[in-house]
Amino acid sequence: MNAVFCVMLLIGLIGSVSMGRVEEAQRALMAGGGEAVELLVGLAGAYAFFGGLLGVLRESGATGALAAALRRPASRLFRFQLGEERALDDICVNLSANMLGMGGAATPAGLSAMRTLAAAGARDGRASDAMILFLVINTSSVQLLPTSMIALRAQAGAASPADIVLPTLLATAVSTVCGVVLCRLCAAHANPKRRRRP
Amino acid sequence: MTASYLLPALTVLCILCGLRARVDVYSAFVRGAKEGLLTLVNMLPYLAAILTAVALLRETGLLERAEHLLRPVLAAIGLPQETAALVLLRPLSGSASLALVGDVIRTCGVDSRAARLCSVISGASETVFFTGSLYLGAAGVRRSRYAVPVALLAYLAGVLAAAWLA
Repeated sequence: MNAVFCVMLLIGLIGSVSMGRVEEAQRALMAGGGEAVELLVGLAGAYAFFGGLLGVLRESGATGALAAALRRPASRLFRFQLGEERALDDICVNLSANMLGMGGAATPAGLSAMRTLAAAGARDGRASDAMILFLVINTSSVQLLPTSMIALRAQAGAASPADIVLPTLLATAVSTVCGVVLCRLCAAHANPKRRRRP
Repeated sequence: MTASYLLPALTVLCILCGLRARVDVYSAFVRGAKEGLLTLVNMLPYLAAILTAVALLRETGLLERAEHLLRPVLAAIGLPQETAALVLLRPLSGSASLALVGDVIRTCGVDSRAARLCSVISGASETVFFTGSLYLGAAGVRRSRYAVPVALLAYLAGVLAAAWLA
């Protein structure tokens, strides 16, 4: 992000000088902070509301229930090698917290799962297939409700702020399925002889 | 407008969930709201930084030019040119993409196709590079093998799906 930020600023400034738009550039440099505060104020209501709902869900034990429900599908999905199945609990907590949009609770469990998988299957700092699958599922987003986007749209006065939920869910599903399939293909290519465990 | 019933229905569900588990719903809601608001406040400096850079590129007309250059590529997969910056920056930073979606909503109108697409793309993806370096770093991985290409391909599949769906 460091490089992106520096490049954006430098290109912007050089461009503004070369096109003779230094006044605009000067105004723009002072405008960002104000725009950020406007964005913050607009989003505050929705963040408080969704945060509150998540708080109620968390304290009623919904994350735990969802994690328990995920155990069986997750253990099928991962095809653990010897020792890797110890990460299953952390994986389920991570996925259920991510589905509900609780990033704060998902990350510690995810990191712990990653370390357990690494202890079981990674040699010489080489990521194992299970580690990569877990990472790809995480980076393809499994969040069920795109709360920030609903918030942005509500703030801007959209006719129906939540009508992006269905296309978002479908797009997420497509990217997660693609990620899992590609992981399978790469893993099969890397270990041609390994058979699926009975 | 069936989607309008979604949030009220979810709220009722959460309250029933809390009552069934005999949780103090009010206190739980307040604790959660505090967490949500703190997340937002912590994001403020990041939003300020990226919005400064975006404002600079927009005011000088460079953003539009860059997007114009990318338009043929985007048009081929059914994306309007305003989504270019978001598609490129989404895997790098969550606050940057939030800022960019806000920017597109302001410039194109919230119910325009570009703005809807941006919301869908942003909601359907994650910060691939940030999450990747965090998770792989924690596990002491030096050789990530096919992890990054596969994660990026999955992201692109999501973008294509969004272009087709929204």
